[in-house]
Amino acid sequence: MATTFSEAAKATRKKKVITLVGVDMYIVTEEGIPKFPDGEYGPFKCEFISNRGTKVWPGFVSPDLMMVNWYRCRFMATQDVKDADVDTFLAVLTQKGWWWSAAQKLWTHDGEPAFSKAY
Amino acid sequence: MAQHVVTMLPGEGTGPEICEAVRLVIDASGVEIKWEYEEIGLGCLEKYGTLLPDKTIKNIAKNKVALKGPTTTPIGTGHKSANVTLRKVFDLFANVRPAKLIPVLKRPWEKIDIINFRENTEDSYAAIEHMVSDEVAQCLKVITWPGSYRIADFAFQWARANGRKKVYCVHKANIMKMTDGLFLDAFREAAKKYPEIETGDVIVDNCCMQLVRNPAQFDCLVLPNLYGDILTDLCAGLVGGLGFAPGANIGDNCSIFEAVHGSAPKYAGMKKVNPSAVLVSGIMMLRWLKETAAADRIEKAMFAVLDERKHVTYDVGGTATTDEYAQAIVDKMHGKA
Repeated sequence: MATTFSEAAKATRKKKVITLVGVDMYIVTEEGIPKFPDGEYGPFKCEFISNRGTKVWPGFVSPDLMMVNWYRCRFMATQDVKDADVDTFLAVLTQKGWWWSAAQKLWTHDGEPAFSKAY
Repeated sequence: MAQHVVTMLPGEGTGPEICEAVRLVIDASGVEIKWEYEEIGLGCLEKYGTLLPDKTIKNIAKNKVALKGPTTTPIGTGHKSANVTLRKVFDLFANVRPAKLIPVLKRPWEKIDIINFRENTEDSYAAIEHMVSDEVAQCLKVITWPGSYRIADFAFQWARANGRKKVYCVHKANIMKMTDGLFLDAFREAAKKYPEIETGDVIVDNCCMQLVRNPAQFDCLVLPNLYGDILTDLCAGLVGGLGFAPGANIGDNCSIFEAVHGSAPKYAGMKKVNPSAVLVSGIMMLRWLKETAAADRIEKAMFAVLDERKHVTYDVGGTATTDEYAQAIVDKMHGKA
């Protein structure tokens, strides 16, 4: 039976073991680099914050760096988590007044990070 | 004469021997530079656990200007490129890449004299990538108004200061209406401040076709990061390759001048490679430091040596070593040859 290119391509898919390990939150704020005290966000802890792809917390921030009002805030799970934990986490963020434009769940694929780091 | 303090980053592979040859020429030009050497690249990974040590960052922050040799970017190791990190740390938003015909390199065009201004810090280089399912990856293309406006403003200012007549924006706003549309809007806004300069825009695919058919029509181009990455190499190819292609990465407070070619590790220590790309980057640096007379002297001597073809490196048909080529330029400047 003839196989189309699309069918052949789909047949090569390698299924991976996918594990939820965190969330990237895209926060809009005019108040500078956001602060997320440990312990206030359930099983998630802020690992780094970047602006236009450059890490602005923790560590050295060049005084030269131009920032915009949109921050990627990476929250990593401190224990095993499920999708429902993300729902709760988002609600807490909103409750605390953070205005977020998007959330991106972070997974490992077969144990390997399936997301990039920031510069 | 003012003494300048410049951070020298020799880099890796053939970088150190190239940078020594370039230093020889620049020091002989009459300009007074105190060079402070710092490390960058793979060697640092073993010694300091990072491609870009803090000591190097601090030195560049202090001196505000650096000349950099080539470095190697490890592929697939998880380490970030030292070049990209430098640009991000110092917010070197303007990548200035001139493409000008060099008389000795015979090319099929009468004239090419283009200055590319590539936005250097955002676009799909913001390192925001995710696997969003096990068969779908995404990379966020981040374009911001201030990031777009300042590269356009910078290009127009450069054009005004250097008597350039036309500045065009390269984009794909017909398809990417939000991201490239924002880039183009910011360009048009910045253009209002420079009424004496002809402005316009060109879609990136058409620009590529026009560049290879009739490059003489272009003057200054302003490009988002990814198109800039590609078109600057295309322009370098038009004038003879990366061996003579200078580059500058400029921010509000700091500037790094560098060749854009690789470190050619297989030739390291053989002293046979052509140092011209770092040398012309050094010439750009001298002009940036307002040492125009020294820059002109070096450029004139370099063209003369290339034109004579007696002391040129293998890539342009000669047998001279890196050092012999550099020495020939020095001798030419001093009227000895």
